[in-house]
Amino acid sequence: MSRLSRRFAVTTAALVAAALALSACTPAGPSRSGDDTRLTVALPGSLSNLYVGQENGILNYYVASIAQEGLVSLDAEGQIQPALAESWEQVDDVTYVYTLRENATFHDGTPVTVDDVIFSIEKAQDAEISPGFAWYLGGLESMEETGERELTITLVEPDATFATLMSTVGALYVTSRAYWEANEGTIGTGSGLLMGTGPFQVTEFVPDSHVEFTAVDTWWGGVPDLESVRIDFIPDENTRLLAAQSGQIDVAFNVPFTQASQWESISGAEVQFVNDLSYVGLLFDLSVAPFDDLKVREAFAHAVDREAVVSSVLGGHGEVALAIPTPESLFTAYGPDGAAAALAEGEQFAFDLEAAAAALAASSVPEGFTTELTYPATGPELGRSALALAANLAEIGVTVNVREVTIEEWLATIGDGEHGVGYMWYFSTTGDPGEVISYLYGPENPSQYENEAVRALLAGAFVESDPVTRADLILEADNLARPDLASAPLWWGQSATAFLNGWSLSTPSPFVFTNPWPTLLTKAG
Amino acid sequence: MLTLRLLGVLVIVAVLSVLIFGMMHLIPGDLVRNLLGLRPASPETIAAIREQYRLDDPIWLQYLNWLGNALQGDLGTSIRYQVPVADAIASRIPLTSMLAVMAMLIAAVTAIPLGVIAARRHQSAIDQALTGFSVIGLSAPAFVVSLLLLYVFAYYLPIFPVYGGGTDFGSRVYHLVLPSIALAVGLAAILMRLTRAAMIESLASDYVTFARSRGLSELTVLGLALRNSSIPIITAAGLVFTYVIGGTILVETAFALPGLGLMLQDAVLFKDIALVQALVLLIAVVIALITVAIDLTYAVIDPRVRRGRRAS
Repeated sequence: MSRLSRRFAVTTAALVAAALALSACTPAGPSRSGDDTRLTVALPGSLSNLYVGQENGILNYYVASIAQEGLVSLDAEGQIQPALAESWEQVDDVTYVYTLRENATFHDGTPVTVDDVIFSIEKAQDAEISPGFAWYLGGLESMEETGERELTITLVEPDATFATLMSTVGALYVTSRAYWEANEGTIGTGSGLLMGTGPFQVTEFVPDSHVEFTAVDTWWGGVPDLESVRIDFIPDENTRLLAAQSGQIDVAFNVPFTQASQWESISGAEVQFVNDLSYVGLLFDLSVAPFDDLKVREAFAHAVDREAVVSSVLGGHGEVALAIPTPESLFTAYGPDGAAAALAEGEQFAFDLEAAAAALAASSVPEGFTTELTYPATGPELGRSALALAANLAEIGVTVNVREVTIEEWLATIGDGEHGVGYMWYFSTTGDPGEVISYLYGPENPSQYENEAVRALLAGAFVESDPVTRADLILEADNLARPDLASAPLWWGQSATAFLNGWSLSTPSPFVFTNPWPTLLTKAG
Repeated sequence: MLTLRLLGVLVIVAVLSVLIFGMMHLIPGDLVRNLLGLRPASPETIAAIREQYRLDDPIWLQYLNWLGNALQGDLGTSIRYQVPVADAIASRIPLTSMLAVMAMLIAAVTAIPLGVIAARRHQSAIDQALTGFSVIGLSAPAFVVSLLLLYVFAYYLPIFPVYGGGTDFGSRVYHLVLPSIALAVGLAAILMRLTRAAMIESLASDYVTFARSRGLSELTVLGLALRNSSIPIITAAGLVFTYVIGGTILVETAFALPGLGLMLQDAVLFKDIALVQALVLLIAVVIALITVAIDLTYAVIDPRVRRGRRAS
């Protein structure tokens, strides 16, 4: 026995020694703090394809915007600025003329031509290649090269959102025709990568693992200070936190609110909460009983304590949604103060359990009923808010079974004709005030909501180019539709981004990460 | 005999392929929605996508289509990754197979000696302690063990990396030490208990008493008993391999490893049918082949099996 256990001890010791020796000779971790030429970024989710037209989660936009650009970009205030086009003008309601930069160059050194831009737009219009973009670009009449470096785009009918669509927040990631055709079918994968014009070039992509970027000297904006950017996909939130505490991460997107204080307590760390243009609301399906009864929907709307949800569930990191468009989406039209004032004018369903009980009593199901409310696992705050709502509704006799599902299953429940009540959780990239409301109240909407007056106002807003008139029309449509309760707004959300090892971002804004954002970071000391 | 076994594997794979195809249509979710996200889409866009992936064909036709291509060696294209399924899987095999092999090795070199020690000191304090540990090992979920290992050996004692799979062979082994330990804990617990049970029986046998009475060294006696216990141990080791496959999903998530487990989980959720089919069939074939391999090792270990086969 003693001999046996001694042998075992010797073996164990040898294994441990081997592991230690191995750890001494191999570099630990992808990055170490103190390096200001290399940035390591942690993403909470995983990317499987880099081409945003193919896979279009919000994180795909953030990653691709490091390497690719549109004709224009949106600055921190959401204003349109030149990008690959040094200038642009809207000649009439349907005609836009863009002039490309003289020094616009792809990562392989070839100049950007008008033909490349037209090619990129054509690829974005193709539903098979770009399922995520095709819908946006259906209204183009023609694209023509009308001069040296000059592109003229004509629309079928006026579209107030078109100018924004030509940026990376919209639907345009300019790529090289020659490169695409040489790598047909593999663009965005590990073997095809991306070809763009931005300050960094993709040099390696391993799906579900990481993307590696290297700085280039071909960007019109100059050579970035950073030499490389590595983005690691770390799905488990505890692992991500540990990696940050071990100094291996410089920037982390979408820090869970429940972990924010732990991230903040890391030395040299800063957590920024920024309104992220997201909208959360209850979504009713008007074709599903008993939610086809307005009184039932009124009972739900009165049973939500939105102030309490924002202060306790979100910890104050969000705002009670007074309408579907976010305040930021109305800044261009009204400015920040004007947007707040305009949003405050609409009538609201106040939290009032007596009113909820009265509405239920007057409904087709006065004795109450049982229903299900699903929420995606990636939105734990939606789950906690659902439980609060269920507790309130239980008091008036409605049983709500709250169920966590995968994001894929949740997506499939929206407008499936079976779930009478659900969540709408929408991240707008464009920041256009009409984006979410057109989806919720326009044609093919998930609520089966038909209101001609609302549709007419939204259609009018679609073709209206004056921002103030347009915003007026959108808010009018929202206020007109609100009593019908196809949707009940809950909150406008925020996202938390952690900056570590002394890195910081001086211009926090929802639009910043759809620009070449690594060039905007600075490191203290 | 071997040919018959391999034919059996083929039948199982064929039946499984039908079952999986059917089940993928039953699980919640919608491929078109997964591709579009929460974007508004025109009916034309939706029709184009459904046409592209032949979603409007009846299920049996979709299956026959897949089968026809698969029999010609074309496993289709992964919708999620937009690369051929064979390439997507091939890129993940090295990492996951290394993880599984390392976990099995760690489990074997720790559990079998510990099982022998426990059996030899049956009902002693050591035995009870080891049995107690095995209960903890069995009941601790792999993601909890992963997190614990990360805290201790990557954070407090920064010996190992927190996440990632490494690049060259050396760094890959180094990156996989903690994940394979996390995966090995549950395996080792099962193996240890089975080794202990088999050894207790063997050590109580007459031949052991006789061997001891002949004055053979204790180590030789243990060697004899272990060889006689090895058939149940090896059978169990093969069976618990299925546990490894389930465990890789949790461990790969915890350590951010781009492996097959994570890929399978995402593919099922995304309804990436061609990828799920190929992955599940690959797993089925691996399990079936391991079972066949175990049967073959019986002959190596046990002369009676060898003779029996020759006689038949």
